[in-house]
Amino acid sequence: MKLRNLGAFGAIVLMVGAACTAGAPTSPPVSPGASAGASAGASAGASSRGTVKIGVDLPLSGGEVANGVPTRQGLELAVLEANEAGGVGGYMLELSIQDDAVNGVHDPDQGASNAGILVADPAVVGMVGPFNSNVARAIIPVTNEAGLAQCSPSNTGVDLTKEGSEVYRPNNPEQRNYFRVATPDDIQGPAAAQYAYNDLEARSAYVIDDTEAFGVGVANSFTAEFEDLGGSVVKRDGNDFTTNQSFAALLTAAGDFDVVFFGGTQVTGGGQLRKDMGTAGLLEIPFVGPDGTTDLQEGGQEGAMITLAGVENSENVHGTVAGIHDIPDPEAFAAAYSAEFDEQPGAYSALAYACTQALIGAIEGSADTATDMAALREAVRAHIFGGNTYETVLGTLNFDENGDSSQKFISFYKTDTELNDGTGGWVFVRQEDFAEIAP
Amino acid sequence: MDQLIATLTEQFFNALTIGGIYALVALGYTMVYGIIELINFAHGDIFMVGSFVALTVLTTLGLSGPVSDPGMLAFSLAAAFLITMPIMGVIGVGIERFAYRPLRNAPRLAPLITAIGVSFILQNVVYAWRGPSPVATPQIFPVQERFELFGANIAWISVFIFLVALVLTVALQSFVSRSRLGRAMRSTSQDREAAQLMGVNINVTIALTFFLGSALAGAAGIAYGLQFGTVSFSLGFSAGLKAFTAAVLGGIGNLSGAVIGGFAIGFVEVITTQLGYARWSQAVIFAVLIIVLVFRPAGLFGQQLGERA
Repeated sequence: MKLRNLGAFGAIVLMVGAACTAGAPTSPPVSPGASAGASAGASAGASSRGTVKIGVDLPLSGGEVANGVPTRQGLELAVLEANEAGGVGGYMLELSIQDDAVNGVHDPDQGASNAGILVADPAVVGMVGPFNSNVARAIIPVTNEAGLAQCSPSNTGVDLTKEGSEVYRPNNPEQRNYFRVATPDDIQGPAAAQYAYNDLEARSAYVIDDTEAFGVGVANSFTAEFEDLGGSVVKRDGNDFTTNQSFAALLTAAGDFDVVFFGGTQVTGGGQLRKDMGTAGLLEIPFVGPDGTTDLQEGGQEGAMITLAGVENSENVHGTVAGIHDIPDPEAFAAAYSAEFDEQPGAYSALAYACTQALIGAIEGSADTATDMAALREAVRAHIFGGNTYETVLGTLNFDENGDSSQKFISFYKTDTELNDGTGGWVFVRQEDFAEIAP
Repeated sequence: MDQLIATLTEQFFNALTIGGIYALVALGYTMVYGIIELINFAHGDIFMVGSFVALTVLTTLGLSGPVSDPGMLAFSLAAAFLITMPIMGVIGVGIERFAYRPLRNAPRLAPLITAIGVSFILQNVVYAWRGPSPVATPQIFPVQERFELFGANIAWISVFIFLVALVLTVALQSFVSRSRLGRAMRSTSQDREAAQLMGVNINVTIALTFFLGSALAGAAGIAYGLQFGTVSFSLGFSAGLKAFTAAVLGGIGNLSGAVIGGFAIGFVEVITTQLGYARWSQAVIFAVLIIVLVFRPAGLFGQQLGERA
């Protein structure tokens, strides 16, 4: 898959790479097809006002390809479709795509520098990204100062929108610009706890995190909810995987428990923990993780949870994804996506598509009143935070004053080692909208 | 009570496994320091490269999962060690030849910086070769095979890794103290010029030291892959740091000191974890190191090989 992506999108990646090296604001067209569609649409449309850009920052190279590329393709699809339909509010859309991966790993400093490129381009009136919460912490101060509406398809860090978010808006504390369609971790952790307690009927849990902000946060909220439900947490550990790669002693010290919850990702110890549970003979104990480990990747894919845990240890592995699984019309989306990109959508493709749809809706709603690009940028931002509702592939939704979506779905998945000719894969269990109980 | 004994037994074997791996890596640090007084910061990464070479050797032999037939298992393990260790030895000699030998008479800081550079080069080479993601290794030793002891189920793999560490240490120790080449190593370590005057070929002796140290790191790499099943290009840093600490703890330059230091670090780590302070294990390891050095500046067992430091 990686090679195929590199082949198909080598041109874009190269152009993005060139843009990064040169440090110049450039905007590669989505694809040759898009440019053709764009000019055709422009000549057909009577009220052509020119071109506006949507900025993109995602991790797109190295080990991040599996995260970034399907997400990018989701938003590319939205832009392609909008241009084929004749543009948005008289404008044709273009993308300015930036890669925040350095040496194959997402990098906050690179993200901030990419955001600088995007805000410096007056034609950029909205932005999609980033993929990772720690990159968002570096980017939001830049986009906030410029008043650029920014939608993340996948950030789940609580502090990005809620309590503590003012530190990311040092210059315009009162003016929000960052919003997201993913469900934050203060819902994901408790949802996982309810799943462990109710669905898996676990009464005692061993909770361990990777000592990183995301892992600790989600593990803490899991612990609180699991104890509220009446369960007991036998031990609450943290392990920095860069200094200790073995969970054997931790598992021995934890004693007896019905379920393990790991706060972190498959590469910060999730995969190794399950593998060590296999070595310790604890495979009948279910493993539950957040979207960091629930990567929905086939076994055998480079760096995937099932690959790292080993398919022989991967039965009985469960997890949450901070978004909706059963979108209102999944077949139509999957068909449009695979017609364009010749593969199935990734976990965040539809969410990136929805982010772009919200921005498109805001551009459409502001295009008639805004007189120039700077006014349009501000009008798009104000439209998002004006309580307007948007028709998206996820359903109808709006954004609250913090920038969080009215949809608060958590989807639950578990592994099935029989899938994909015995290399293993994930199956959807159920989804639940936590909008009612949201903090 | 029975439960506690079972837990402690299990932790004892956990410590032996991890300690055995640290001990094998620590031997390389201590040998190189003993003979040329260089802290070879690249040694942790040599261990990492060893784990990848072992992975490649096993895959090339067509092994992907547990081998249950004992004869076949013994053969596969022997093949893994006998192929990986010489390859790693040659890599170690190559590093010495091109990165350290030209700087042998340069100020001390120069080879030290070079060692850090070699460490980065090795990491980047493996990064380019196998990518940034962790890679699963074939665990040919069936990790599920266990025996019962004091109510605990102990995996045979921990016993195996302990025995590998023990056998290799004893073999190295007797090689250094009994053989002609071992005597050359000891004399070079005591006084390089005098040894040279007595007809010892310094270049060959130092190369041999690197060969042995890197081969042992290769063995540790195999053991690591067999036990943990996943290797990554960034593995060398923390393992190297702990093994280096083990060598200093035991008295750098002292072979048995390094081995005991390695096991001591394994036990400190497991004990802190058992007490519920896993997050603090690094801090505790270094606190122990500082306390030992305050009272015994030359380490637990003092220096044996090098007498000029």
